[in-house]
Amino acid sequence: MAHAATSKTDPVRIVLANLIAESQTPYTPEKILREFRATVDKRRPDRELLSLLESISCKRPNYREVLAEITSTLERKDPMYALLVFAERINDDAMWPLKYGSSSNLSHPASQKNVESPAPLLDAATHRSSSSLLQVEEQPTNASGDHARNSQLDLSTSTPVTHRKSDESLGLATVPVTTAIATYARRPVPSEPIVPRGDLSVIKKRVLNAVSNSTALTMGSIDQLLNSSSSKASNRSAGNNAVASNAASARSGVTYNLDSSPGSSPCNSHRSGMSIAISTGTSNGGNSSRAPSSRATSSGYRPLSNVFLERCSLNNNNNNKYLVGCKDGLPDEYRTHLLWDYYKVEPPNPMPKPELAALPPDAQQRLLLTEIIYCLSGVRGNYIVALPHDELSLGLAKYETRFSVHVHLDKSLAEMVHEILPLASHFMGIQKVIALTDGNGQVNNALNAALQNITHDFYMLLQQAEVEMLKNDLTVPKLLYYLQPTIWVIDEIWTTLAELDMHDYHGAAVLSHLCDRIKHLEGDKYAQELIIGLARKAAEPYMRMLQLWIQKGIIVDSTHEFLVEDNEVIHKDELPEHYSDDYWEKRYTVRTECIPTFLEKYADKILRTGKYLNVIRQCGKRVMPTQQMNLEFDPTSELHVHVINDAYYFAARMLLDVLLTENDLMGHLQSVKRYLLLNQGDFTMQFMDACEDELAKNVDLVLPMTLENLLGLTLRLSSARSDPYKDDLHCELLTYDLVTQMSKIMNQKEEYWKTTDRLDLSGLECFAFTYEVKWPVSLVLNHIAITKYQMLFRQLFYCKHVERQLCKIWKENSIAKKFSPHAAELYRSAFTLRQRMMNAVQNLEYYMMIEIIEPNWHIFIEKMKNVENVDMVLSLHQDFLDLCLKNCMLTETSHLNRAIFKLCKICLKFCEFIQRSQRFFLDAELKSMVCDSSDENTDLSDSEPDISDRRQSESTLDETDTFAERVKRFDLEFTGMLISFLKQINDLAKDNTADRFMNLVHRINFNGFYSEQMEKLCVKNAMG
Amino acid sequence: MPSEIITLQLGQCGNQIGFEFWKRLCLEHGISPSGVLEEFATDGMDRKDVFFYQADDDHYIPRAVLLDLEPRVINTIMTSAYSKLYNPENVYLSKHGGGAGNNWASGYSQGDKLQEEIFDIIDREADGSDSLEGFVLCHSIAGGTGSGMGSFLMERLADRYPKKLIQTYSVFPNQDEISDVVVQPYNSMLTLRRLTTAADSVVVLDNTALNRIACDRLHIQNPTFTQINTLVSTIMSVSTTTLRYPSYMNNNLIGLTAPLIPTPQLHFLMTGYTPLTSDANLSNHHNPLSSHQAVNVRKTTVLDVMRRLLQPKNMMVSTGPDKTNHHCYISILNIIQGEVDPTQVHKSLQRIRERKLAQFIPWGPTSIQVALSRSSPYVQSSHRVSGLMLANHTSICSLFERTLNQYDKLRKRGAFLDQFRREDIFKDDLNELDESREIVDGLVQEYEAATRTDYLQFSANRRGAKAEGAGDTKSEDTKSLNSADL
Repeated sequence: MAHAATSKTDPVRIVLANLIAESQTPYTPEKILREFRATVDKRRPDRELLSLLESISCKRPNYREVLAEITSTLERKDPMYALLVFAERINDDAMWPLKYGSSSNLSHPASQKNVESPAPLLDAATHRSSSSLLQVEEQPTNASGDHARNSQLDLSTSTPVTHRKSDESLGLATVPVTTAIATYARRPVPSEPIVPRGDLSVIKKRVLNAVSNSTALTMGSIDQLLNSSSSKASNRSAGNNAVASNAASARSGVTYNLDSSPGSSPCNSHRSGMSIAISTGTSNGGNSSRAPSSRATSSGYRPLSNVFLERCSLNNNNNNKYLVGCKDGLPDEYRTHLLWDYYKVEPPNPMPKPELAALPPDAQQRLLLTEIIYCLSGVRGNYIVALPHDELSLGLAKYETRFSVHVHLDKSLAEMVHEILPLASHFMGIQKVIALTDGNGQVNNALNAALQNITHDFYMLLQQAEVEMLKNDLTVPKLLYYLQPTIWVIDEIWTTLAELDMHDYHGAAVLSHLCDRIKHLEGDKYAQELIIGLARKAAEPYMRMLQLWIQKGIIVDSTHEFLVEDNEVIHKDELPEHYSDDYWEKRYTVRTECIPTFLEKYADKILRTGKYLNVIRQCGKRVMPTQQMNLEFDPTSELHVHVINDAYYFAARMLLDVLLTENDLMGHLQSVKRYLLLNQGDFTMQFMDACEDELAKNVDLVLPMTLENLLGLTLRLSSARSDPYKDDLHCELLTYDLVTQMSKIMNQKEEYWKTTDRLDLSGLECFAFTYEVKWPVSLVLNHIAITKYQMLFRQLFYCKHVERQLCKIWKENSIAKKFSPHAAELYRSAFTLRQRMMNAVQNLEYYMMIEIIEPNWHIFIEKMKNVENVDMVLSLHQDFLDLCLKNCMLTETSHLNRAIFKLCKICLKFCEFIQRSQRFFLDAELKSMVCDSSDENTDLSDSEPDISDRRQSESTLDETDTFAERVKRFDLEFTGMLISFLKQINDLAKDNTADRFMNLVHRINFNGFYSEQMEKLCVKNAMG
Repeated sequence: MPSEIITLQLGQCGNQIGFEFWKRLCLEHGISPSGVLEEFATDGMDRKDVFFYQADDDHYIPRAVLLDLEPRVINTIMTSAYSKLYNPENVYLSKHGGGAGNNWASGYSQGDKLQEEIFDIIDREADGSDSLEGFVLCHSIAGGTGSGMGSFLMERLADRYPKKLIQTYSVFPNQDEISDVVVQPYNSMLTLRRLTTAADSVVVLDNTALNRIACDRLHIQNPTFTQINTLVSTIMSVSTTTLRYPSYMNNNLIGLTAPLIPTPQLHFLMTGYTPLTSDANLSNHHNPLSSHQAVNVRKTTVLDVMRRLLQPKNMMVSTGPDKTNHHCYISILNIIQGEVDPTQVHKSLQRIRERKLAQFIPWGPTSIQVALSRSSPYVQSSHRVSGLMLANHTSICSLFERTLNQYDKLRKRGAFLDQFRREDIFKDDLNELDESREIVDGLVQEYEAATRTDYLQFSANRRGAKAEGAGDTKSEDTKSLNSADL
């Protein structure tokens, strides 16, 4: 290749040569360079160097200022650096490019050797200058003076664009752009200081750079590069010996490294864009520089393999590696995603770039196009330089890259470049977000995969642009025109993604955000469609989970992104006692933060759908969805809504069917109502008859087995025998009475310890039925519901018991009809008191049963006819129970139920008293009747023995009280309590008219018998 | 262990209404006239064993004892389609078959003579039941067998089964027509005494009112016994419906009657039923009264039913006009059947209370109890809602007063006493009659007293004849008794 042109291609040399030509001094550029490059001991003093420079630059108008600067530079820096600064400063002269252009034409006829036609002359020159500029940049790093540089320069400069074009047309047309990218991407040659850090990815990058450079550079440059890097690395490496064995084949070594580097990255999908370009670049490089590469084989690649091995062996020192990795300011994700992000391979280069200003607009454009394509693919350019990221920037700025465009760029071009640059910034922003969010949940992965396609498309676009460019068909305006739509789109995607990452969205939040964006972009159809596409792709894994859930009730959600959470702690086989209570509420819950906005309305439905399916499955039934619809999120249509609805209705219907038809929920509820709400009155009465003796005992003496046996007997003898669910009914002896249970529920304090003396409780007070049902009926008739039923039952049962006792003494007292009218009068007060008690208790029962339970049940049944899902069943049932409890005075805190309890207690005491006295006065009266029939005038004498008899009988009760007095005392106590009870209800009703309590007052006081007394009490209260 | 009830049918009237009653029960429970459970009725949630017992799986036999001293009515029953229904061992016919000749004393004496045979049957029935709750007696108070033998049986039952309830459906004679039984006042008086002292509750079925209802409400010119007895059977079946179709409340006889009867003496209940008109239309299909029917298409509400039940014209007891308007309800139980919205009940009660549609006793709390009862699914009723009222009303004493008046008229003349003297119980004297009068008079006084606030202090006064100023003497009595008590 053309060796002669070499020295001229070095910009410093060119500058020096020009200056020498101008000043007619007897120097050569080589000599000056040698003077400046000389080691400290051989070097001339600074003063002499300055005078040397002065002598060649004296023709320049600005030489004094330049030299003044150089003087100060020389004092602090290396003379070679000073020389470079000098060359740059001298070139800063505005007139310079023109002069240079003409002078280069005139004074360097040798350059014309490369020129095949006058027209591409400038082109070639530009290229030459640009590439030589690059070389210059490399110079400081390679300044240790290696000789291979020349040959490297040779190769790079001697491969003119035109020539390469023909190359491509020969056989590499398939990968033109990647070649180009590889060509331009050679710039970030890793600087030596980085090498010792020994980071795998850095080395890899370096290798990649080197390989891609090899299309333009000779393989020798790689040799040199690798030699230098490995020499450092091998200093640390003990495994130098392995070198030889690995060096067997250089070519395969290169590809090996290339293949393994993407392979080692966690996400293979990300290699598509960049790594393909690089690998093809490699093969291309291999093609175009076969000879040098083979030449470099034995020496060049050995160290690389060595380094690689070393890295492998050092894998243990992970911490160290990452520490090192962080130091170079590049997040790990960038590496794994091969993200360039204008990575600074070297410190900011103050190297002058004098050529740009000197170039004509056409040449500038050519140069610029390459730069733009660099820039768009994230590679650091020369004239368009990414500014360092401001670490403190907030919001969207964090994802932005700012560029500085070379000031000498033609204004018209610069304008357009400024228009294109956001694209690069945003594209890089997107890539960064991809890298950052990768592996952050299924949705992000899916989104990133979709974005990867866009990235790929973008690279395709760049590729096409480059093809155009290489055909010389491309201009900056044209490129801008081509890119214009993409700028918009990428801008939108960038905004979207930046916000995603900014708020650290993942899972559903990502989808919500995408939907938001879609709504936002209502006017921008193209961008909207793009985001829709992204959203659709991103939603795929989510929708897959959703589909699985609503059609099979399964959750496969390793990343905890799905909106339903399974809180299963126990297996169904080992169902604890109250499993069903919690199941419905707690087994599956919605993660509110995991609901995408488009599913917000349906979250409840979705939760229930799967829940229903699970219940159905737990019933041992197979869930066979009738329709296997594919669930796909489409923001433009509500198709997914239909699928969700269909699945929901299917599941709801099916579970409802399972519950209502197959497991006959209503039948069970009827049974519960029959027994626990005493609807089957004859059964209740018979059971009471049977268990009377047993339940009268102290609770500790009651034998549960006896109760259970009697229950079974009663069930089989009463009209309940035809009930298919009668065997679900069981007896339960609680350890507290209803009042205690109430206060326990109300206050949850330790108050009940005071009131509860277990020794005092009779079996009756502790008794309750319980109803055991199997899954899935236990969902509805769960422990809580049964407890509520039991509370109602206990109150009803107790009232019923009192009523029964009153009826019993009524029957026993009815013997009094045989008494003489006079004697009967004596007992009338007792009878009427009994009747008042009966009235109160019965009205209470009527009120609870006929006015509360039955109407509410009626309403419940009516509503159940139109029930749509099991949740409705549950809530209706709960409403029914709560309404009953409330209106039966079992919920409020005003202790109305205590008053009821006390009233009942008095009634029972009274019954006991009457029964005890009965036999005494019965005997007396019958005796007196016998006398009565024979002797008519013994009224007083009749009652006398009677009273004395009573006295004897009541000696157990109270020594001094007569029967009448006792009755009177009962009367006072009962009436007082009843009146205050009614008054209490009255007061409550004033505050809350919605309650039905008032009806009870009206019932008990139907004929106004108590009105007067109630008023008296009111007056008394008012008086204080 | 159902609370079984044994029905005793006595005499011509008792057997006739009993026959209609069983016919009705069979219909309601889906039991064929031969006692076999119909196929459609096998899975009913009703309670048949209160009134029937099972001979085998699907053969039901009424717990009924049919007693008569003359064979006519029982023979009719035993030749009817229902002959196979009854247990033949429970049918007792007096061997000589001469009847009681409408003579209470004859019936009473014959009861005494036949008591062993009769109680063999009753005891057997009682032993055959798990937890016998009581006896229901169907009879008339005016005839010979029903009244006389019925009285005897009541006394014996009360002694023999003191813990069992004795309820009677007692038919009172029609006062509007001249009876062919001249000693009817005597019979009635003597039976009333037993009803007062031996029975726990008496459902009064007044032939006067029943005839009037048949004529006025059902538009039957000369109602036959069968037609009247259909009415009676309706009353009987509906009043037992809460026992046979149990629900929350009133599921046994005692629970049904105890709230109605505050003090032991005041145990005479009257009944009312509505609607009655449509029934007539049903039984008179030939009668082209379509316009009448159209009027009744109007929806019947619970309130309508309850209000109608409070109207005297629907009462099965003819109490005569209450001039002083002081009579009042001691207690009321409404049994309502049909398509009832349970939410309507309390509204209706409220309305009645607010409008004071019913007058209640002043000396104690009382109210209208409403029992919503299921009805038989096998009997198609043309009414949406129907209701029966069981009420304890003080005006019932006018019935007894009427009897007292008639008795006094006869007694003053000493007429027709010879046939009574022939029997053992009246051999020595006619004290029995006087005592009965005294007791019935005391009953009337007690009912009168129950209309006043001082009922609790009331003490009956022994009055030889009808005392007009009873109140004054009573207050004195009360004072003296109070002092005596203290």
